[in-house]
Amino acid sequence: MLTSVFIAVVSLVLFWMAAFTLWWQMHAWRTPEVLASTRFSRPDGDGHVSFSLLLPARHEQAVLDHTIQRLLESTHTAFEIIVIVGHDDPETTEVARRAAGRDPRVRVVVDTHGKKNKPKAMNTALPHCRGDVVGVFDAEDQVHPELLAHVDHAFRSTGADVVQGGVQLINFHSSWYSLRNCLEYFFWFRSRLHLHAQKGFIPLGGNTVFVRTPVLREAGGWDPDCLAEDCDLGVRLSSVGKKVVVAYDSDMVTREETPGSLMSLLKQRTRWNQGFLQVYRKRDWKQLPGFGQRMLARYTLMTPYLQAVSGVVIPLNVAIALFLDVPVGIAFLTFLPAVTALVTFVFEVVGLHDFGKQYGLRVRFAHYLKLIVGGPFYQLLLAGAAVRAVWREQRGRTDWELTSHVGAHLAHTTREDVPA
Amino acid sequence: MTSTLPAATGVTVPAQRTAVPRTGSTGRTRPPARLRSSRPDLILCGVLLAAILVVQGWNIADYPTLSDDEGTYLAQAWAVQEGRGLAHYTYWYDHPPLGWIQIAVLTWIPAHFAPESMTVGSMRAVMLLVSAVSAVLVYVLGRRLSLPRWAAGLGMVLFGLSPLSVVLQREIFLDNLAVMWTLLAFCLAASPSRHLWHHFGAGIAGAMAVLTKETMLIVLPAVMLTMWRHSHRDTRKFALTGAVTACALIGISYPLLALLKGELFPGDGHVSLWDGIAYQMTRPGSGFILDPDSGSYGVLQSWLYYDRVLPLGGLAGALLLLLTWRWSVTARALAGPALAVAVLALVALRPSGYLPAMYVLQALPFLALVLAGGTASVAHAVLRRGRHSGEEKRYATWARYAVATALAAASAAYVVPRWYDGDRTAMTADANAPYQAAARWMGTQVEDPADTRVLVDDALWLDLVHHGYEPGTGVIWFYKADLDPAVTKTMPRGWRDLDYVVASPTVRRDAVDLPNVKAAMEHSTPVAVFGTGEDRVEIRRVQSAGGAR
Repeated sequence: MLTSVFIAVVSLVLFWMAAFTLWWQMHAWRTPEVLASTRFSRPDGDGHVSFSLLLPARHEQAVLDHTIQRLLESTHTAFEIIVIVGHDDPETTEVARRAAGRDPRVRVVVDTHGKKNKPKAMNTALPHCRGDVVGVFDAEDQVHPELLAHVDHAFRSTGADVVQGGVQLINFHSSWYSLRNCLEYFFWFRSRLHLHAQKGFIPLGGNTVFVRTPVLREAGGWDPDCLAEDCDLGVRLSSVGKKVVVAYDSDMVTREETPGSLMSLLKQRTRWNQGFLQVYRKRDWKQLPGFGQRMLARYTLMTPYLQAVSGVVIPLNVAIALFLDVPVGIAFLTFLPAVTALVTFVFEVVGLHDFGKQYGLRVRFAHYLKLIVGGPFYQLLLAGAAVRAVWREQRGRTDWELTSHVGAHLAHTTREDVPA
Repeated sequence: MTSTLPAATGVTVPAQRTAVPRTGSTGRTRPPARLRSSRPDLILCGVLLAAILVVQGWNIADYPTLSDDEGTYLAQAWAVQEGRGLAHYTYWYDHPPLGWIQIAVLTWIPAHFAPESMTVGSMRAVMLLVSAVSAVLVYVLGRRLSLPRWAAGLGMVLFGLSPLSVVLQREIFLDNLAVMWTLLAFCLAASPSRHLWHHFGAGIAGAMAVLTKETMLIVLPAVMLTMWRHSHRDTRKFALTGAVTACALIGISYPLLALLKGELFPGDGHVSLWDGIAYQMTRPGSGFILDPDSGSYGVLQSWLYYDRVLPLGGLAGALLLLLTWRWSVTARALAGPALAVAVLALVALRPSGYLPAMYVLQALPFLALVLAGGTASVAHAVLRRGRHSGEEKRYATWARYAVATALAAASAAYVVPRWYDGDRTAMTADANAPYQAAARWMGTQVEDPADTRVLVDDALWLDLVHHGYEPGTGVIWFYKADLDPAVTKTMPRGWRDLDYVVASPTVRRDAVDLPNVKAAMEHSTPVAVFGTGEDRVEIRRVQSAGGAR
């Protein structure tokens, strides 16, 4: 009897968790109107907002120049690029200085902190920003030339304080985990973030994010001690009622690549999870006015851990139903979470198809197969990262887990600070 | 304050409601986004609903004749309520159990306060609720498929007031519940907001329909078609896969139930889902429906006896819509119901298939909708086709209205007297007096019900249970005496172990193939007879019974 009650309760809790996550994940596709509203609106050709684009670069001499060149091709008329380099990184500094020499719109700021991380670098540059809006990109980002014009229009037409553009991992064909990683980004930026924007609680992404300079200065910039400074900034801004707008256009997204190895993906995910946990413990989200908003915040920031738990418990639960002698009704309940998981799986397959269509990429049958077969293993990876994050946070290890720089040619693959 | 970009700023939502392309013509009332806030719709629907409830509800217990199947399902619902499992005899996967589980839920409250009301006659009242929901859903679906208000109302009237509907919808048939779920699936598939979770819900409702009555499976493609036409290009793949997934996952719960009970595959000493399906698939056919010597022909005639307008008119309507597909807006809008009618008609035309008497129930809402749609199409052709605003001469307009009025009057002159007769019979005739008298006799004239064994048909079974007979082995569904090993085991001396047979028409008809029942009939004499002729109910006392005990 006690076993039955226990199983029923666990099953129902898991079911509702999975159902809510699924509901949010599918937000953008709820109706055609919602889907249309997630896109950038067409700019009117008028430019009024000036941009300061922050480009923190660390051991990224190989890709930095290309990124700067591409940013300079922007159609927008008023922007500056501030490249932030470390005082201990002469190679990258050299590339940045050369670019600054070629084009007056590029400036270089040197970060002299002893222990370096991305929020400290950006805070160093913040006083130097002359634009109305501060934008953040990463050194390896491919930015669309028309993005700034669209963001400009979004700021003016909506009166937003923050505009978050889409970020998309593209190289789904590289490996089984990159396939899932790409799809995660797809569902997150294409769909879930819009729900967060609508509900008034949003963890921002780490790049292609634009904040009005006074708002950012008022908020005191980024938290240098937080491992997910991007998420933290979003939570702090939306908690005090700043208006955040999200827009996703497949031809306007910032394209990125997945981490180069399974280990670096694990480390990246560990850092995010730990960052989310830190943000949760900072309690800025408690200022949110609505109960529903606070619940959403609580749930979102704890997602990695819930994910870890459900990944283990769902199969266990079904096994119990099949092999233990429980009443048929209870056994039925244990299948509920699995049913939701299956629905999620199916929507992921459809999502992959849509992803291929949106980006003109050819998704083969093998990719669908990989997506399905890789699912449980990816779940395992996520669970591992979650456990690792809790352990690190518990031990007080809050340093940026940058892997040692084995060589310049690998530099950009060892960065762990790709945003969530 | 945060929000997503407002939809209105620039990117216009492509208003591609491929499903309901509208001509710019005037006479069509655009279906409001929310029907429940449209006063004319609410009033019309409410008035029609009241009329349908009066006609279907008046005299519901006494007409039509209690059917064996009604008794079966209600008795199984009773077993569910009593906590005796999915049936009071061994559940053998004849149908998925969801149908009578729903009946159990619907009858729960009245059965709780008045257990003796749990008999076929009195519990028919809950079918009124099902009919009401279905009738409203027919109206909603008609409006969602962009029928004008009057045509949606016509569909609702055809569905609810045809004498054929009145007779069949009064009965406790699983098909009635399945129809309700199917209509819900259609309404959700045609949701004007094209919401992903509405389409997902359509999948769930479709699965519920199939789990209520498995034959609804063949109507699901029509639900899909409706959903396809009503979904938007950009969200369609999510909507459709969502619906299919939902449907499949809910549907799988039936085999899962069998698996959890260890009864998925055949084995010694237990029933199985496999055997149940095998039985249904190999049921002896009832012949080609148009062959006058076949059983199916008889079934068809029994439907046409009650009403010709809805079945034949509906078929004609479906044919008209299919033929005018290219030109008629209405035809394309009603593609789903028309397909449902076509599929159901084709399945009924199988020469070797088994055609049950309630088969037509599944088709009724779709027949009603396509007939209403066909009428709307004709009305549109007569009143509007070829007319351009302001250009037409006055006499031509008058001629159009004259033709329309004449057509309407002629149809009314044909339909109204026939329906009046049919519905009056339904509201006044008392077909069940013999059954009720027999039940009363068994309750008052038998001295020791708890120790008396009697064969009855399913329709009377619950009555006798309430009179104190032992359910299952005391009062026995007559055919279980031959077919259920658990029952025959308790009758080692065959007919000699029985005391009474309540020989209703069903028992007399089926006794031919059942040795134990046949023997009991042959070795018994009537002690009371109620009614006359074919429909009489005899109470027969088995001869040896007195001496043996």
